[in-house]
This record gives sequence, C-alpha cells and structure tokens, in this order.
Amino acid sequence: MNPKRLLAITRAGIMESLHFRLGIFVTLFANLIYLVLVYYLWKAIYDSSGTAVVNGMTFTDTMIYLILATALFNFLEMFVVWDMSRSIQSGKIVLDLLKPMRFRKYTFWSYTGNHIVQFVLTFIPTFVVVMIVTKGAIPVGLNLVWFLIATVLALMINYNLEMIVSPICFYTESTWGINIVKETIVLLLSGATIPLAFFPEKARMVVQYLPFRAVYDIPLSILLEKNGSDTWQGLVSLFALQLAWLAVLTLAGNLFWNCAVKKVTVNGG
Amino acid sequence: MSEYSGNEAVIMKNVCKDFKVLNRHEGLKGSIKDLFSRDYKTVSAVRDVTLTVNRGEIIGYLGPNGAGKSTTIKMMTGVLEPTSGELLVNGKVPYKNRTENCENIGVVFGQRSQLWWSLPLIESFKLLRDLYMVPEKDYEGMIELYRSLVDIEPILHKPVREMSLGQRTLSDILAAFLHNPAIVFLDEPTIGLDVSMKAKIRELILGLNKEKNTTVILTTHDMGDVDALCRRIVIIDKGTKIYDNDIEHLKNYFGSYRTLKLKRSDDTWEEYLIDEKTTDVMDVIMEKQKSMKIKDVKIDEISTEEVIKKIYEGSAK
Repeated sequence: MNPKRLLAITRAGIMESLHFRLGIFVTLFANLIYLVLVYYLWKAIYDSSGTAVVNGMTFTDTMIYLILATALFNFLEMFVVWDMSRSIQSGKIVLDLLKPMRFRKYTFWSYTGNHIVQFVLTFIPTFVVVMIVTKGAIPVGLNLVWFLIATVLALMINYNLEMIVSPICFYTESTWGINIVKETIVLLLSGATIPLAFFPEKARMVVQYLPFRAVYDIPLSILLEKNGSDTWQGLVSLFALQLAWLAVLTLAGNLFWNCAVKKVTVNGG
Repeated sequence: MSEYSGNEAVIMKNVCKDFKVLNRHEGLKGSIKDLFSRDYKTVSAVRDVTLTVNRGEIIGYLGPNGAGKSTTIKMMTGVLEPTSGELLVNGKVPYKNRTENCENIGVVFGQRSQLWWSLPLIESFKLLRDLYMVPEKDYEGMIELYRSLVDIEPILHKPVREMSLGQRTLSDILAAFLHNPAIVFLDEPTIGLDVSMKAKIRELILGLNKEKNTTVILTTHDMGDVDALCRRIVIIDKGTKIYDNDIEHLKNYFGSYRTLKLKRSDDTWEEYLIDEKTTDVMDVIMEKQKSMKIKDVKIDEISTEEVIKKIYEGSAK
C-alpha cells in the first residue's frame, strides 16, 4: 500500500477536523460537566460504602480511571454508522464507492486524521491535568508506549465493531436505535462508564473475554499498570486478547461489508 | 469477450438490470403489513441495451426522467452489477474490478460534489493527486492545462462550501479530469447553472476532450449541452435503447421536419411544426393567409429540443 496515499487522506482529515474547532471546545466543556457528575456520583458511592477501598480501587483510582476513560472515549468515538446511513440515504455512498481505494480502507484512513486531532486536543491535555493533579498516581515509563500500541489496536477493533453494525443499517434503514444500542453495549461492557472491577464476579468473568473490553479497559489497564499489565505475562495476554478479537472482528466486518456492498450493487442501495 | 480491440472505451452487449422492489401497501395497516411482506416485484430499469463507445467520443446519453440513464452509468462505473449481459469498460468488467476501474474513470454527478467541503479547492486537488497516485509532472501539466482553459485562480484557494453552484460544478469537473482518466461520466453537469456558466463549462469539456482525447459520456436534459458537445446521441426510454446515431440523423428521425413561423399583424409569431414529406409548406402558408394577415415568414430547421421532445412523447404513447 502506498503510504503517501494514506498520509494524504489523514492530512485532509486533520485539516477538516481542525476546521470544526468550535466542536472540539464544546466537547471539552461537555466532558467537564460529565466529569463533575461522575465525581459526585462516585463520591456518594464511596461515602456510603464506609471503606476507602471498594473492589480493590480507591476513590482516586476510580476517578483517574473514569476521567481517562471519558477522554479516551472522545478520541475513539467514531461516526461510521451515522455517516454511512446518511450517505446511503442521500446516495452519496456512490461517490465513496468510486474512490480508487477499497471502501473500508478509505473510510478508516479518512477518520484517522480526526483521531489524531482528538488525541492531541482532548486526550493529551486531560492526561496531563490528571498527572499534575494526582501528583504521580499514573506511572510513567514503558507503559506509555504499550498504551499507545494498545490504543491503536483499540481503534482498529472499534472501527470493525462500527463496520459490523453499519451494514445492518443498509437493511433496516433505521440508524438511530441501532446505534444507541451499540453505543450503550460498548460503553457498559467495555468498562468506560463503570470500571470492570465493580462488575459482579460472574459477569466480570464473561465480560473479560468479550471484545468490548479491548476498546477501553485494556488500554487503560496498561496505562495505569492494572490487571497484571505490570508483568510481561500479563501484558502479553492483554495484547493477545486484543489481537485475537481484532482478527475475528476484521473477518466478521469484511463479511458483513461484502454482503452490504452486494446489496448496494445488486439492488441499488 | 474477444471483440475488445483496445479502441473501445465501453462495450455493452445485451445488458439488463432488474431491481427487486417491495410492493408497498397503502395506509398505516399497509405499512405494518409491509414490515413482514415478502411480496416483491421486479422492475426492469435497463433492458437489453447494446452499445459501443469509442475512445475520444463525446456521446450524449439521453432519455426522459426515470429512463434508466443513471442506472446505466452506475453499471459502467462498477457501482451496480448488471443482472445479465456483458459489460466492458476499458476492456475490464467494472463491478468485478471496481477499485481498479475507478482509477481510469472520472465521475461528476451534477447534484453532488466529491470535493472536500471545508477545504480549499487546491487541497482537494492535492488529495486527489495522491489518491490516484498522479505523478507530479502530470499533475503540474494538468493544472497548466486548466489555467489555459478556464480562469481557475479565483476559485483555487476558496473553500468548496463558499463557492457558488457554478464554481462548484466547474471544480468538480476539473477534479474528475485531474487523474487524466480514459472516460469521464458527466451526469447532468449543467443542472441549475446560468447561461454564461453553462457556456463556460461546455467549452471546458470540449477543450479537455480535445487535449486529452478523453471519452465523455454525458447525460443531460439541456439540449444546449447536446448541441454544443455531442456528435453522437444515444436515447433510451423505459430501459430500452430507441436511438443511437449522430446528431444530424436525429433531425430526420421523424421525417424532414421544419418549423414554420408566421408573423401576425400584431407582431406576434405563430409556430407550426411541419413534416415536409407529408405536407407542403407553401400549402400551409396559403391556407393560413386566408384567415389572417401575414407580415413575415420564417422557416427554421427543427431544434434538437423539439426532436427529442417528439421522441420522448412518441415513445410514451
């Protein structure tokens, strides 16, 4: 694959997202409100529990986890489902199919620019603020490198999840409901709204092996050196889980997309 | 498919395209019923079309709304798969090699833009250059050619969303030609444009076709486009090809028609369409003279618009 091509698409994506800079500020502001809410909610939970440590996590641990999860969510969030359903309804999908590149690849790289912008403008500032406020609660070392790798994998897994859901819209022509269901499932089961440590034992056993965890919980665990990621074995098993799901979901995404594209090419969408 | 000699841009042989459409029922009850309905009907959008387009040609692909023009174009671009028949674009089956096919074609849909909305035009150009992997030299050459054909300076650094419709269409056409494709499909490129912009765009298309020997397949409802650009016309209606010849023959399609114009005493014109094969023009004038005073007489050749109108109406019966 020609890297110049991918770079060009990424570059355009960056320029386009920077164009909507107001949107970025709004996101940051909305996050702030959300985090205030999260803060008081969890404060109440900890106060009522009577102990400083709940499920092996202190209040500070939980807050760090949730703040970073929110920041990660902003940066990983994709609108493939929305965009695709809109372009199907308007017929714009034809123009995307007429690019001299595979649609899935083209779409992925056109989102990459936006991810980079979001990472720099929302995740890094949040991370720095958390570092300063908590004065070294986040370990700094090789874990940052592993975190970046895990995040890229998470990004690809998330994209494939979107790619599995989007073709459903080809058939149902309704997007809103399906997207909300998908988003809720991902946020809940990935540990983005409630840390997985708070799940009931049996539920956690199941959730641990689901792909959703690979999107938020694994990168965050690696960053915070939790869940055994401070040992080589732990790290390898987390990455193995991510890679396994990435392979499965890529295959599934391919399959779904090929069916969907067949529907467009056979029946005109 | 042995007949491909390298000189044909498009070869279509007995191409058909059917769509399966759900039979919708009326009312709320009907809508609920539709949810579970398996009651499909087949609609033939394109029926048995055979067509060869040679390299460097500009052909007008005409037909009334819903005739199957866009469906044909979508099949040629590889977005739609023909139900039956053979279709070769640049010697390849388009829907099987869609991505590859896309490298050799350019497409403009008059009502949609493929440009990056919030970016200046030049950025879209650069992006397309990298996307199609156009060598730097060819790209520079193309921009030079554009400069010589139209005044692109005022739009080059303007974000696409700030452009007027005319500027945007112009930009889209330039973008479609940028990677020097063998074939460019123009789907109603002059829709909604003012007279001078239309003229500018026609000139541009003609110039690019001449310079680069690009095959142009044009669908339009504007006969001005057809007169200015196309030597050959293909007309389809209800999915069937009903005419395929050059524009001169079109005028004799229904016989030798003439438009007779008579100026009345109050300086208004009256028009009559006369087939010279069946009626004598002089007879008509004499007949009319009995009932009114004629100040002036004009005999025009029939316009393309009128012939096309007659063809559309004729086939609708």
